[in-house]
Formats: sequence, structure tokens, C-alpha cells
Amino acid sequence: MSRAPRWLLSRWVVVPGTLLLLVLGWNIHVAANATGVVRGRVVDSAGQPVAGATVLLFERSFVVNTEKQRTTSDPRGRFRFEGNASHAVQLQAEAPDGARSDRVTLRLLFRAQDADLPSPLVVEP
Amino acid sequence: MSAAAAGWWGRKRTRQGLLVFCFLLPSLAIFLLYRVIPLGWNAVLSFQSWSPMRPAQWVGFEHYEEMLFYDDIFWVALWNTLVWIAAAPVAIVLALGIALLVNSDLKAAPVYRTIVFLSYPLMTVAVGIIWRWMYDERGGFINWALRSAGLIDRPLGFLQSFDLAMASVILTDIWQVIGFYMIILLTGLQQIPQHLYEAARVDGVPRHAVFLHVTLPMLRPSLFLCAVIGLLNSFTSFDLVYVMTNGGPGHATELLITYIYKLGFGQTKFDYAAAVTVVQFLLLLVLTFAANRLAGGNAGAVEKE
Amino acid sequence: MMRRRIPWVRHAVLLVVSAIMLLPFYWVLKTAITNENIYTYPPRLLPLDPHPYNFVDVWYLIPFPRYLLNSIIVSVLAVVGNVVLNAMAAYALTQNFRAKKLVVLLLLSCMLIPFQATIIPAYLITARIGLLNSYLGLALPLLSTIICIFIYKSAFEAVPRSLVEAARMDGLSEWRIIAHVLLPLSRPAIATNVILAFIWSWNSFMWPLIVTRDADMQTLPLGLARFLSYMEDTTGALYAFVCLVLAPGILVFLMAQSAFIRGLTQGATKG
Repeated sequence: MSRAPRWLLSRWVVVPGTLLLLVLGWNIHVAANATGVVRGRVVDSAGQPVAGATVLLFERSFVVNTEKQRTTSDPRGRFRFEGNASHAVQLQAEAPDGARSDRVTLRLLFRAQDADLPSPLVVEP
Repeated sequence: MSAAAAGWWGRKRTRQGLLVFCFLLPSLAIFLLYRVIPLGWNAVLSFQSWSPMRPAQWVGFEHYEEMLFYDDIFWVALWNTLVWIAAAPVAIVLALGIALLVNSDLKAAPVYRTIVFLSYPLMTVAVGIIWRWMYDERGGFINWALRSAGLIDRPLGFLQSFDLAMASVILTDIWQVIGFYMIILLTGLQQIPQHLYEAARVDGVPRHAVFLHVTLPMLRPSLFLCAVIGLLNSFTSFDLVYVMTNGGPGHATELLITYIYKLGFGQTKFDYAAAVTVVQFLLLLVLTFAANRLAGGNAGAVEKE
Repeated sequence: MMRRRIPWVRHAVLLVVSAIMLLPFYWVLKTAITNENIYTYPPRLLPLDPHPYNFVDVWYLIPFPRYLLNSIIVSVLAVVGNVVLNAMAAYALTQNFRAKKLVVLLLLSCMLIPFQATIIPAYLITARIGLLNSYLGLALPLLSTIICIFIYKSAFEAVPRSLVEAARMDGLSEWRIIAHVLLPLSRPAIATNVILAFIWSWNSFMWPLIVTRDADMQTLPLGLARFLSYMEDTTGALYAFVCLVLAPGILVFLMAQSAFIRGLTQGATKG
């Protein structure tokens, strides 16, 4: 009774054990949240949602960004990508009237993390 | 050996002999393979003309001739290695100062000890990268500090400058090994018998005299040890130079060891590199024995039988 | 009065020294967690907008897990090899045999030969026996250390002879004598050996640089040097990598500090 706890409480068990638990927990979290969904909204400079805007998703590989997917925003300005496999993407919107937004970088904590763009893409003519 | 032990030994001679042989074999094989044979092969190679694709040919002292009379880079590397060795005493004196400060009844002494020692066991490659960044012209702390203090008005490219590169790399090396010297000296200080200090205090000997006549002589083995480590360090500190400057600019920070690496694995001149290795090894031997002599006797002897 | 004043001077000096020792770590960590543009001057002293994304980049941009695995494999090989082979050799040296003087002399003189000094033939030998680019080739020169043999030897000699004789009387085999009598009584020696073998193999750079051919076999220090050659000093990811590489070493050091320091000084005083 008195031996087991002492052995368990040694820092050589506690520290690696804690680390192992953290890694395990992190991996579970990653597995549960890695479906590759990226969501966001497109608005114009007045803050009104833009429907039918083309949204491009670029993936960063080492030094260049390559376009991977494109989609269109719905009437409420929302868009949704699925199957994103990267940990750092860039998003850019182009409204039907030709107005474009800046490229917004979205960095994720792990590959294919589900993410919502914190602020909408603003298209400006 | 007593008679009884001898008798016991006699009876079990073969079994015991076999056992000893089997137990020693793996270690000895490794040392033969990676210390003794390389040394011999290296010596042979240095007198040959050889490369992986060609059969060996004896060329006598040709490589040595080329090295000693025609190879400027060799002399630069040799000089830099000697400079590196000469920096060791500086580091040892600094470490002695820190050790004396830490070796007191300060409550926080273990904390300071840990902090000073922390850099030593770390990966030298990483340390090199850290210090590249410290020396950086724009993002580096050192340039920022010097400029903020108004000491310089243009950033200094420490590692790109012919004059400063060697000193910068050596400073990094000192930063890394100083903790180790400190620990060795600290151990030495703690082994000095307290009654010597007591006696000196009773006799009213001034403090600097105590330091000169009690502490320093008693520390001689530890100081010698530091010197030998500094010496070995200068012949093996490949990592730091490789990462920080790779011998550059030009050959301003080339050490013998990096030069050997470049000759052997950059230019596949294994034979010539072997000749440089022989010179480096002889230098190491001479300096070790000189240090041993200076320290008075066999302070470095490992284990007394 | 004097007694009260002196420690302040000492503290001040030691604090400055500590600051010099710690500052580089802080500087690298600061860069690793910020988006700071490294071409701007002046650099910021405090991290602005700290974020973990440089670490994410490192994890995915380079085969970090692979390097880590390689490093761990080589270190484990080296540590296990050291503990077993050195204990065996040291036990043999506590026995009496005819060539003992010769063997001790051989070991002592081997100690004068720094391994890095004979790197060219060592490479050629490894190539001859076909171990280039393999874990065994990486670990082989590190598998046994002379210093540690002598550390074990003195630890074994400190064990009362009567204990060993008694065990032998009971009919224990030599292996069991080592494993059940000598080793449990030489824990500090084992700790020393484990620590020395670990840092030597974990930090070793020149040998892996020469012996490995494929990126798949590279260890952490090699990966770091390679990353540096791609990236130069321009990216926070490099410094995040440095932090990731240093973290395990610092952790182990802080956890086993006293054993660590004892091990290193012992290794040094014996060497």
C-alpha cells in the first residue's frame, strides 16, 4: 500500500505520465475536430452580405500558395469549404461585380482543423 | 595477491579467463574499431595517395610537404585552433570567479548554479543557431543593445566580419562551456578541507593571501582538468563552427577539425585530410603532456591501480 | 554590518551572470512565438501577439516526428549499449587475469584519442562493414565509453567482496551477480552512465552528419542544421524548431539535475 504510491509519485513517473496524457488528450481532440471544414462570410464595404461571391482557398506549401478549392457564397454571404487538408490556408473572395477582398491568412493548430473565419472577408471595388 | 586468492584463481582459470574475455570483448572491439584501428589507418593513409576509386600508392611525405609548405589554409586553421585553445584560460578564470561567488552560504546558490550550468548539456547545434540570432544584424539582441547604448551607429555583422567572426564564435563557446568549468571548480572548492581556512583565519592571514596560498594550490587538479577539457574541446568543437559560420568568412573561423571535414567529405581528399589529422593529433598529445607537466605530475591520471 | 552588505554585491554579480546565461534562450523563445518581421529594426523586447503557429509550421513543414524518432532510437541504443557493455567490461576488470594491466593501459591510452580526431578512417571503416546510413552505424561508436567503464569499476570495487563471494557460494551465475548484487548497489554509476550516454548521443552531430545519407535517417541536430540551410535566419519557424529540440534536454536536465551534474563531473574527473 505504501510502496505503490511512492513509486507512482516519483517525478520520473509523474512528468512523463502527464506529458503522455496531454499528448493523448491532444490527439483525441485532433481526431475529433479534423474534418477540414472552413466556414466564413463575405461582406461588402458597407457590411452587407454578398451573395454569389467566388471564394478561393489557397494552401501554403513551403513558400508558395497554390489554389486548392473554390466555392460560392450563399444569399446570406456565407461559404463553406470541406476537405481542407492544410494547416495554413489563405482565403480570398471575389464578388460577382468584380470587387475583391484581401487575401486573409488563416492559420490552424493542426491539419484539417475545423475553423470559422473570425472576421468576414470584405470585398472592395 | 594472497595465496588463497591465487589458488582460487588457479582452479577456475579457464572458466574465469573465458568469462573475462567474453565480457571485455564487445567493449574492446568497439574501441579497437573506432579508436585504435582508425589511428593506425589514419597514419598509413597520410603517407599514401588514395581515394575511394583508386588503388593506394605510397607517396612518402608528399602530403606533409604540401600541407606545411604550400597550404595556407592549413596554417590559418592551425592558428585558429591555437587561438581557440588560448581562449580556454579566459573562460576558466571567469568560471573560477563565478564558482567562488556560488560557493558560499548564499541561499540562492543552487539556483544560480543551475542557471549557469543550463547551457552546457544542450545541443551545440541549437546553441549555434541561438547565437546566430543573437548576433544578427537586425533582429539580434547584441546589435540592438550596442546601438541603443550608442556604442555603435551601424549594425555590426559579427559573423560576417573577418575581424569579429572568430571572437564571436569563441564567445559563444565560452557561454556554453563556462557552466561546466564552474561545476568542476565548485567540486574542487568543496573538497578543500575547511580546517585549512580555519587555520588561516586563526593566524590572521589576509583573504587574498588565503586565496593565493590555500585555494589556488588546492584547486590545481581541477584547474588542470578544465585546461584539458578546454584543449579537447578546441579539437572537437566542430558543431558550433559548422552551424555558425562554416569556417567563414573566407577561412577566418576555420579550425583544424572543420578543415579536415571539408577536405575529406567536401573534396574527397581523404589521404590529405588524414595527414592533417596526424598533425592535429600530435599537437593534442604535446599540449596534453605540457598541461600535465604544468599541473605538476599526474593530476589527470584516471584511476590508480 | 559587513555580513549583511556582502551578499548584495554577490547577488548583483550573479544576477548579471544569470541574465547573460538566460537571455539567449529568451530571445529565441520570443522570436519563436511572434510574427515579428525579422527584417525590421529595432526588434521588440517583449513578444507582441504571441501565437503558437510557428510550432505548427515546424511540425508539418519538416519531418519533425521522424527526426525525433531517429534521435530516440539512436539514444536508446547508445544508453542500453553503454549500461550493459560497460558493466560487463568493468566486471571483467574487477577480476584478476593475466593481461589486466595491458587492457587497462590500452583503455587509458584510448581515452587520449578523441573520437572526432580520427573521423576519416572511422568513416571508411563504417563504410567497409556496411553500416553507413543505419541506426547501428550511428550508435556503434557510442556504444561503450571508457570513462564509464572506470566509473563502474570503482563502484563495483566499493561493493564488499564478501557479498560477491557469498553470492558466488550460493551458486549464482556471473550474470546474476552483476544484475542482482553489483548493479543495484551501483545506482549512482548507472545514473552517471545513462546521463552521459544520453547527452553524447542526443547531441552528437558530426558523426551522424558523416554517416547518414537519407533524410529519413537524420537525427534532430542534422534536421536542425538542414532546416537552417533552407531557411537561413529568416523565419520564426527555425526558432520554434530550436525550442522544440531544446525542450526535452532542458526538461531532463531540470528533473535529474543533481545526478546530471554529478555524472558530468564524475565523467570529467575520471577522464
